Amino acid sequence: MRGATSILRYLAKRITLLFGTLIIATYITIVIANAGGYIDEILSAQIKYDITTNLARTQGWAQLPEEEKTRIINERFESAIKAKGLDKPFIERSFYYLIDALTLNLGRAIFITSASGSKRVADIILERLPITVLLFTTGTVLYSIIGLLVGVYMTKKPGGLFDKIFSIFAIVTEVIPPWFFGILFIMVFSYYLGLTPFGGIASVPPPQDPLGYFLDILYHASLPLFTWVFSLFGAWAYIARNLMVQIAEEDFVITAKAKGLPEGIVMRRHILRPSLPPIVTSISLSLITSWQGAIITETVFNWPGLGSLYSQAISALDAPVIIGLAVVYAYLLVVTVLVLDLTYSLMDPRIRGVA
Amino acid sequence: MSITGGSKDIFDAIFRSKPGLTGVLILTIIIGLSIIALVYVPFDISSKWNDITFWQFNPRLAPPSWINFFLSKKLPETIIIGEKDFAKYDYYVETAGLKHIVLEAKLDYLYEYYPSEVNAILYVNNSNGMLVTLKWIQPNGVEIYLSRLVVNDGINPIYFCTRKDVKEGLLNTMAKLGTVPPDTIKPEVLLFSDLNPSGGFNILRGTYRFKIEAETTSRNATIDSKLIVYGRVYGLAGTDSKRRDLFVGIVWGAPVALAFGLIAAILTSFIQTLLGTLSAWYGGLVDEIIQRVTDIYMIIPFLPILITISVIYKINIWTLLAIVVALSIFGGATKTARSMALQVMNEQYIEAAVSYGASRKRIMLLHILPRLLPYTVANIVLSVPSYVFLEAALSLLGLGDPAMPTWGKIISDAFEGGAVVHGLWWWVLIPSTLIIMTAIAFAFIGLALDKVVNPRLRER
Repeated sequence: MRGATSILRYLAKRITLLFGTLIIATYITIVIANAGGYIDEILSAQIKYDITTNLARTQGWAQLPEEEKTRIINERFESAIKAKGLDKPFIERSFYYLIDALTLNLGRAIFITSASGSKRVADIILERLPITVLLFTTGTVLYSIIGLLVGVYMTKKPGGLFDKIFSIFAIVTEVIPPWFFGILFIMVFSYYLGLTPFGGIASVPPPQDPLGYFLDILYHASLPLFTWVFSLFGAWAYIARNLMVQIAEEDFVITAKAKGLPEGIVMRRHILRPSLPPIVTSISLSLITSWQGAIITETVFNWPGLGSLYSQAISALDAPVIIGLAVVYAYLLVVTVLVLDLTYSLMDPRIRGVA
Repeated sequence: MSITGGSKDIFDAIFRSKPGLTGVLILTIIIGLSIIALVYVPFDISSKWNDITFWQFNPRLAPPSWINFFLSKKLPETIIIGEKDFAKYDYYVETAGLKHIVLEAKLDYLYEYYPSEVNAILYVNNSNGMLVTLKWIQPNGVEIYLSRLVVNDGINPIYFCTRKDVKEGLLNTMAKLGTVPPDTIKPEVLLFSDLNPSGGFNILRGTYRFKIEAETTSRNATIDSKLIVYGRVYGLAGTDSKRRDLFVGIVWGAPVALAFGLIAAILTSFIQTLLGTLSAWYGGLVDEIIQRVTDIYMIIPFLPILITISVIYKINIWTLLAIVVALSIFGGATKTARSMALQVMNEQYIEAAVSYGASRKRIMLLHILPRLLPYTVANIVLSVPSYVFLEAALSLLGLGDPAMPTWGKIISDAFEGGAVVHGLWWWVLIPSTLIIMTAIAFAFIGLALDKVVNPRLRER
């Protein structure tokens, strides 16, 4: 029981912090965006649109003279603005906006439409979200596993040839972002070798049968996945290796070795296990960076997730979508950290309260 | 973790290790390149880079000239016949009230490949309309009647490759010679081909003549011409789709990239370290606030906020730099610096300083901060590439500074211009190589410094 309460206390603290972060990130976005008057514009456009579409459905509307129509629209518009508190000073309004944004009430896009035909920003973004999450979660799981394995292998003989080569590989791939490798890999694997498609998620037209469709997506995802893993597993292995090399010098490891325990057991129980919590902490930080790196990587591979939506919205100057994306990204990062915190609290005995 | 310190250690670490030395060497070359930038390209780049007329005499999408070194059949360079190379004579016929001007230029074409384009530019002065006839005489004496057109005062570019009358002139010549014309008429190819029935449209090497005959009613009128036979290779780094010399863009990109990366890295690292030290040394409420703010800063979606700012305010590269710094005043280094400062604080010499009555501020600035210097330097070095790539990433999203030719801008232009899918390797690979070399240089120096900062990682 003591374990459970201390996990809960830890999580409650983290959730408060994360929720605070979410609110602050969203609020910053709102303040920045509204300094250009964008949010006011988005909201009044939304209200006007709602009023006009509602009125158009009422009986006898079409028969009214044009001035009468404008008068009614303006009247209702003004009262709606008052009712929503949009005539209040910005400080007060910003809190209404904050609540709207946090409940994903993000307004209507100017140019971009979702595949289902909706103009609501929330629809447009939520439709893309799974596509991004699918690719990059798979990629992240893959590079974490490969990286950890390589890290363990490097720890076996610190200073050995494998360790040296991989340290250099790690430090070189660490400083070069995945999207940059993406550009080079498209040139090599798609243009010169013709092995992979140039981008996108499926062929045009996509295959009809479900298995063919799945394989087609896999074929299109192969190069982005490879790029993601190639670019990130090295740094990851290096972090794991450094932590494990430090732990391998601790007295309890030396004792375990002196007792004559097999190397595999020493590695798993005495080295790998205590290094996992700090490894999880650093993965949560690197995940935050890589979620954002996904924006550019998707643009390069034309992968139709959030990142491509970003570049689409930037070139169309669709401000509501850009602001909405910033909010969704704040959610995405906060949820990622929360999930990792949960894992961390289950993994670290100090938090579990089992001393 | 024990903390060694001092600038001598930093120096030693860099110059006594192979990666450190390699990094310094690469960096020296790149800094040399940015010095060349100022010598080779003395003009104001930001006003010229997007000026199409400035680059109009370069071939479009040409690979660098040095590839000829690896080829047995050489690709042509651009040949420009300037105004002074034209033989010129004119006479005025009083009775008719007409002025005749004849310009003629000779062109030696000895390459085994066709040029990529042929243009002429006519500079007309003081004329109220001039009737111009253009003729092309091949080495074997075949005369091709290219065009007869009226040109006005000013600069008149004549694009042979797209003009209908040039095509007709070629077809007429072939009809006269009795040659069956090929399926596609490419003026830049046929102008340099043997058009005789037995010639088989093979390239004709030798001296060509380009003749301009002009007639006008104004007595003072003058005409000058320039003939540009665009090659298929150009310069040290080739050209892009707007005919810009990529070498100019790349050498100018070097100081911009280095300045952007270094300034951002130095400012953010110093501020973060300072805040971390403050947090440890003053403790209590200061510590709590700084740590919580750092926690929040580390999760905030940095790039989306940066994108929102760039989209809404359309900023230039130096404003972007200021915003990047403002968004990174708290970060990973704040946490590490705090934990390092906590260790230093427990050492005896700090206790000694406290006991002889040194002020808290003095102890922090003179006794604690210098000890964190190696860490800060390592942090600066390792974060430079990420800022260089950040600028490139924003360019790729279309948010870069449009006036400055940065490496990122060139790579993103290449990507958008289809260089990757059409295999225009020089446009992508040359700037990429430089950006990678810079990143690796900093990474190697960082690797060398890592051993000062984390002595436990020293190879045994």
